[in-house]
Amino acid sequence: MRLRVAGRTFRGPAVDLRPTPFSPAPGDVLDAVEHAGAGADVDPVTRANNGTGVGVGIAVDCPPASRFHRRLALVSSSPPRSLRALLAAAARSLGWESDHRHRIDRLRADLEALDRPATDTSAARRRVAERDSDVARLRERVAELRGRLQARRETGAPTADTEASLADAVRELSAVETERVAAEQSLDRAERRARRGRDRGEERLRLEDALATARREARAELSRRVYDRFAAAVEQLPSPQSADSVPRPGRAPGDYDGDPASARLAAVAVASLSAPVVLAPTVDRFESAERAADALGAPVVRL
Amino acid sequence: MRRGSVSFNFSWEPDWSVLLVVTYSRAARTTLRNACRTHEETVVRRFGRAALLAETEFGAFLALRLREKHGEDVQVERTEPFNEFRDVDESVRRAAAAYEDRDAPSTPYAKFAAGRDHPLPERLRSREL
Repeated sequence: MRLRVAGRTFRGPAVDLRPTPFSPAPGDVLDAVEHAGAGADVDPVTRANNGTGVGVGIAVDCPPASRFHRRLALVSSSPPRSLRALLAAAARSLGWESDHRHRIDRLRADLEALDRPATDTSAARRRVAERDSDVARLRERVAELRGRLQARRETGAPTADTEASLADAVRELSAVETERVAAEQSLDRAERRARRGRDRGEERLRLEDALATARREARAELSRRVYDRFAAAVEQLPSPQSADSVPRPGRAPGDYDGDPASARLAAVAVASLSAPVVLAPTVDRFESAERAADALGAPVVRL
Repeated sequence: MRRGSVSFNFSWEPDWSVLLVVTYSRAARTTLRNACRTHEETVVRRFGRAALLAETEFGAFLALRLREKHGEDVQVERTEPFNEFRDVDESVRRAAAAYEDRDAPSTPYAKFAAGRDHPLPERLRSREL
């Protein structure tokens, strides 16, 4: 690995930034690892350094990160969202596949193949609502004009203008009522299309749920199968400082009783990673970055 | 599941209309679930990917927010209270009661109705309430 930060270059399987004035955010280092290009001179990632506003560009040259890298490579004290997911990633990095693999692939293909017709019923509803209010408005106007006409006739006032206005209003009302019928039919058609779209949506939902279940079962299976190795790694790696916080891995993923960093370290040790992992500043188990790289079986950047 | 400290919304019992919201994607279903959790006072009933919301502006507001976010993956319908004595012809009520009271459980309705002067299925299907 070659790591370049602020003009300085570090080389080797273990880079220790602790004795240096550089403290980039772990996430930034991970990003740099994943963006590793032809050399450390290519496009350093420039980001603000932990809120100080000082840009610290980091570039890393290393073997490409596998798709399991992201989930495993950041070793910190924060609890992983799912220990099983972590373990499954480690197992997959070893090339292991779950029994559910084919079902998962089939479900993904089915989902991909499902086409979602784009429907939009809101425009049709809006038109119906607008025609409704036009009709109501014009009906009121016609009623008003009829009333006026009646009153004028009773008092003997001239009615020609009012008659003309009434005739216009009646014509307008008739036209708008026709438009409304058309709008309602349009909405009807749109609704029917939408219903077909929803049928497709239900199918999609069914497939998505089945896929999520299959993925969960795959993670459970892989994490079970790799657990012995994980438990051994937990016991072999250096524990946290105080004696009473020694992690107890137990026999199965649900049994793990210990701190998050120990679990993360053990998962990395089990996994096969060729791109560097990042040890956050709070992870202080190893005498040196080299010892860490040795114990974990992966290149290490210690922050 | 409801916490003990949350009161059930007694003002939204059968006599009141409700908005029916149905979701058709995982994302929409999750949003609905979160909205129902946050606004329990507007939720009359929840069924997983569907819910009955109070027919107030707030209920409409929640439904519309869901549509804004998930488009046609959200279906919103307005419902009315169903009063079978007001809304349904007596012949239909009598047919339902008589059929449920039949002696032979395996008789299909079409056969049952033909022998007894009840409306046939085709007629029932063709007439709107």
